[in-house]
Amino acid sequence: MEYEFPSEEWVSAYKDAVNANEGYRKAGKDWTFGAVAMVVEADASIGIEKAIGMILDVHEGVCRGTKYVLGIDGVESAPFIIVGSYDRWKEVVEGKSDPIKAMMQGKLKLQKGHLPTILRFVESNRQLVVSATHVATRFKK
Amino acid sequence: MIQLATDAEGNGFATMLSELLAQNLADHPEKRRDFDRLTGRIALVVDDIDVSITLCFEAGRLTVHGGIYGMPDVTITASSDDIMKMSLMELVPKVGLPDPRGQFTREIFSASQGGKIHMHGALLHMPLMLRLTRVMSINR
Repeated sequence: MEYEFPSEEWVSAYKDAVNANEGYRKAGKDWTFGAVAMVVEADASIGIEKAIGMILDVHEGVCRGTKYVLGIDGVESAPFIIVGSYDRWKEVVEGKSDPIKAMMQGKLKLQKGHLPTILRFVESNRQLVVSATHVATRFKK
Repeated sequence: MIQLATDAEGNGFATMLSELLAQNLADHPEKRRDFDRLTGRIALVVDDIDVSITLCFEAGRLTVHGGIYGMPDVTITASSDDIMKMSLMELVPKVGLPDPRGQFTREIFSASQGGKIHMHGALLHMPLMLRLTRVMSINR
């Protein structure tokens, strides 16, 4: 079954994919720094009228839960917020782009969070991307 | 203390490195001594994503420019992976030199010896390079 990105169903399937990824379990086992929010910027041309936030409650190599929220205000409680356009997130979800590299290129922005911590967990970030590629995804375009 | 030049607007790597250095100095105030003694220009060229920046240090002040700015004292050319690994290099406690026992330090040395990282001008500016390494590394 395919899940539309972004959607509540997709982020729920993403949680399952993260928890099924042994690589993430190992690389993220020391992560105790709180939830990570992925924010897709509003893009009326594809029906995204307000920014969409997907919060991953990751802790010690496990995704304990997810939240799907409309509007940037809904993610403010997350200690780490990464923002990008739909096309940029699509590249990440397809495994064509690494989030750290995308940040260096200015394609994704760490809007909130401690950058040295993100860099220390670079392999964990990679495994989150690997997990995303395992979700059967239907894109808006 | 750290500012982005107008030519760095929209340069994600410039923003990232500025934030990394600012957070590093906040987390490790002992690095401030090295930061205050840094004077010189270092260009970082990320060859796999075609992005470059120039760090202009002036004894306690840093301006980050987008692209190559002026005549850098040192130019480091490397992949995005290796540039980021430089910030993870392990340091010998108290001494502050790269620790050859550390995984990331070994990977950087190996990439440098293998020609994957080019450091033009580094040998002529060793104090500058060592201080940059200490200030940039997220480790003590």
